Amino acid sequence: MSVLKRVQQWATFARIWHLYDAAWQNPFYSAELLKKYLMGAHKPIYHPMNDCGDHVIVINSSDIALPGDEWKKRVYFHHTGYPGGASWTLAWELHKKDPTLVLKKAVYNSMDGNLQRRYTMERLHIFPDANVPSNLLSNISNQIKQLRPKPKRLDEYTEKEIQEFPKLIDLPKNHILR
Amino acid sequence: MSNSHIFLKPGFINVPLQNGIGRYVGQLQRVVLKFCKNNGSSRGMREFIESDLVNFAKNNPGIVVYLKPRRHRTAVIKAEYLNGDTQWLSCRNFSKDEIYKWLELLRKQQKNHEGSRIRKLWHTENPSIQGPWTPFTFRDPKLNLATFPDEELGKSENVASTSQDELVEMFKRQKLLELEAASASN
Repeated sequence: MSVLKRVQQWATFARIWHLYDAAWQNPFYSAELLKKYLMGAHKPIYHPMNDCGDHVIVINSSDIALPGDEWKKRVYFHHTGYPGGASWTLAWELHKKDPTLVLKKAVYNSMDGNLQRRYTMERLHIFPDANVPSNLLSNISNQIKQLRPKPKRLDEYTEKEIQEFPKLIDLPKNHILR
Repeated sequence: MSNSHIFLKPGFINVPLQNGIGRYVGQLQRVVLKFCKNNGSSRGMREFIESDLVNFAKNNPGIVVYLKPRRHRTAVIKAEYLNGDTQWLSCRNFSKDEIYKWLELLRKQQKNHEGSRIRKLWHTENPSIQGPWTPFTFRDPKLNLATFPDEELGKSENVASTSQDELVEMFKRQKLLELEAASASN
């Protein structure tokens, strides 16, 4: 293999680091999206037998949004292997214990259970907030678009923006707001 | 590729010594047709030998054809190639046409392909003019200067405008109209 071909090989199989902001995102739909990047399925060179998966850094995993009443209804099962070792944890309890676990399990479960799955998961780095170690942050060269728009809360608007917002009706002075 | 092919020896399409570029050397060296003179399973082979074999041998002077009559045994074709491969093919109850078809295959192929799978159905010396793909081809140059995390880059696309957005737009249009009306009256 000539020097040029060797460099070409490195360039083609270079691992890219992506960033994904999980705030206000459905972890189960996000998992289907992140899976593609982790396995390298978004690349034209993808083949199940070549190792071309990328790294994905997920930030703000503590702000994920589960659909409907899934925080209360979704149950995570674990068995220690001993008699009576079964335990059932609700999604909100799991999220309280470790705010990265719901997303991590969603990504893990979205992939097929083959020998590559553990190694693919090694390339996923989840952080509960936006504090990413600078050595990881410096690797990032792409940001994955969010699946749904992130709503802006009222307290995130400035006082001026609120004042200038168009008023639909002028309430009378004696109107009582409950 | 299916699972039944996973343990076959993988290979690429190739020809020995650039065969077919300028000159062609048939790679089938020798073929032995074994058959029985009595048994019904060799009937097609006997018919082939009676009607087509002489023509086959005449048309392919580069191939040595042997006939081997054996009593009470099934019909067999054994082919030997220039690269040393030998291929054994059972022709039990084959018709004349089937035998002709298989012989044509043996004549045209470069070696014995049994026990191997082809990774790609094509071969080229010049795979791409543009060069192989890398993660950096077709990349948005905007990403080179971005600092991550970037709110704008991460925003979701193709979102329908909300009623709130439309309300704000209507309000802005109304303001503009009022301004125009004011300037016209002045």
